[in-house]
Amino acid sequence: MSTRTGAAQRPNGSTQGKICQFKLVLLGESAVGKSSLVLRFVKGQFHEYQESTIGAAFLTQTVCLDDTTVKFEIWDTAGQERYHSLAPMYYRGAQAAIVVYDITNQDTFGRAKTWVKELQRQASPTIVIALAGNKQDLANKRMVEYEEAQTYADENGLLFIETSAKTAMNVNDIFLAIVDELDENVEVPGPNSNKLSKFSLLNKTVGVLSKALFAKIVFPISINRKDSIISCDPSL
Amino acid sequence: MDEEYDAIVLGTGLKECIISGMLSVSGKKVLHVDRNKYYGGESASICPLEELFSKFGVPPPDESYGRGRDWNVDLIPKFLMANGSLVKLLIHTGVTRYLEFKSVEGSYVYKAGKISKVPVDQKEALASDLMGMFEKRRFRNFLIYVQDFNQQDPKSWKDFDPNTQNMQALYDKFGLDRNTQDFTGHALALHRDDDYLNRSAIETIDRIKLYSDSLARYGKSPYLYPMYGLGELPQGFARLSAIYGGTYMLDKPIDEIVLGEGGRVVGVRSGDEMAKCKQVYCDPTYVPDKVRKTAKVVRCVCLLDHPVANTKDALSTQIIIPQKQVGRSSDIYVSLVSYTHQVAAKGWFIAMVSTTVETDNPEAEIKPGLDLLGTIRQKFVSVSDYFEPNEDGVQSQIFVSQSYDATTHFETTCLDVLDIFKRGTGEEFDFSKIKHELGDEEQ
Repeated sequence: MSTRTGAAQRPNGSTQGKICQFKLVLLGESAVGKSSLVLRFVKGQFHEYQESTIGAAFLTQTVCLDDTTVKFEIWDTAGQERYHSLAPMYYRGAQAAIVVYDITNQDTFGRAKTWVKELQRQASPTIVIALAGNKQDLANKRMVEYEEAQTYADENGLLFIETSAKTAMNVNDIFLAIVDELDENVEVPGPNSNKLSKFSLLNKTVGVLSKALFAKIVFPISINRKDSIISCDPSL
Repeated sequence: MDEEYDAIVLGTGLKECIISGMLSVSGKKVLHVDRNKYYGGESASICPLEELFSKFGVPPPDESYGRGRDWNVDLIPKFLMANGSLVKLLIHTGVTRYLEFKSVEGSYVYKAGKISKVPVDQKEALASDLMGMFEKRRFRNFLIYVQDFNQQDPKSWKDFDPNTQNMQALYDKFGLDRNTQDFTGHALALHRDDDYLNRSAIETIDRIKLYSDSLARYGKSPYLYPMYGLGELPQGFARLSAIYGGTYMLDKPIDEIVLGEGGRVVGVRSGDEMAKCKQVYCDPTYVPDKVRKTAKVVRCVCLLDHPVANTKDALSTQIIIPQKQVGRSSDIYVSLVSYTHQVAAKGWFIAMVSTTVETDNPEAEIKPGLDLLGTIRQKFVSVSDYFEPNEDGVQSQIFVSQSYDATTHFETTCLDVLDIFKRGTGEEFDFSKIKHELGDEEQ
């Protein structure tokens, strides 16, 4: 398996082409390397990255592929998978999932299959699921055969790849494979003027903004237009 | 489960999830447990629709209701004030990143048998039939006064002493008539009854400012509603808590809250497992002997296959029926959301009519609200007790939240949460403990 990182290193900022944003969720047993895969992907090879915020809330990574710019919003489980307490919100709106297992641990492969079932039940029917056999660098301690996982993936329509977060092997590839797949079956989300983005609430200048708007649109009840509330606000 | 925690939180309703998040963020080791299989307790949104029907013992929905999984039906109706405390909490904790909101399309008020839009701009105000020309002029002077009012600056008080004079006196100062008072107190200040008239005017001035500032954020109404329903809110705060190390267990029955010396809590038992802790935070249902019933709230979920008449086919709206208009002492609220919020199948609307119970026939009390809705395909009526804790929890270290009240927004919810946090930790919540950057989140 060869790496294709070159494809992702196209300069960013082209004005043409599609820009998509996708939510990608990680699933898998504790300690299979979910977070390491993402950290490798987000902080490793790509030319433009931005790490978002606290802990593992979620990380974002932008990938440019051909004429498409894809922004991944990558959600980690934050440990809520431990007692089967992942909230429906976690799967909500996810366009892609990476289900991770550890090739040196058969149990984690069994758990991975359970997560795939859970995704098929809870998530969107069009979700792209990739199965990642992680810790490929420990192939001499392998307990899950490549062919076994490949067969399972084929039967369930999953992308499959073995990875190593440690050596970076195939880490970019799995994300790029997901982009390719998403490109084929996902419509580019159009602008929706009525929908307030979750980000719009984060406007830092909102205090000032609301003050300015207050004078303009709030209760300018007046009999005569010259005499509107705007002129009464000393701050303007 | 057999570990030791700083705090165990019981129940995953919105209040408990916010508290859990705040405790984890403050560095406490938190175990958060719910006896149910799902997040949200009373503040969950029910999905699929079949579950709502079976919960109320009604035969399952027919195919006209579309796919059951497309429905997320709230049991407690509320909107977020765009500039209110919950939005501030969401922003400061970064929980906004998990949620998407839509602005509610408009707010209506009931007067003399029909509903009128609460004006949001000059054009609407001029056209409004809520008051006559001269009254509009007086009302405008009143609003300018409220806008300029600054509690710290006595000059802005003009000839009025807000420390000694009540709200009725302020209305009288501006010569506002009873209808305008009703409109101001109930549709703008969002008071549930008329007790406020005898209280300090500052309270009402602050509420009108909150309404205006919230309206200013998005222009159509002061309210926001989350996509997929209110049940997303507790899940968002639970995730915050988990990210800061909180441990989550659902579907875990709680058999005993174990007390030690001096009646202080020492742990929580589930079957033969025992988790030790220094504190417990919970909703009233986990400690029936530590709460008292102080009121009842009636709520009716109505499924409609059409918008509400005279709302310009709004896909979301709120209608307030001020108490005096229908001879009551507390307001009736109607809130409407729809398929556009991913809470109903295509073409469907969910209206919720609610009020504080005043008689022994609660369903009859909400009739004026139901009458505004036209044909109701299915309705589900519930009457919930409103519980308050008997004690502040400092002695036992068991901190109990109040039930969700009949208000249409989350302001009282947040006040309760911040108060519980203060009682439990002895300090105000320090928002600076959350180290997130807003800069790279902007689109």
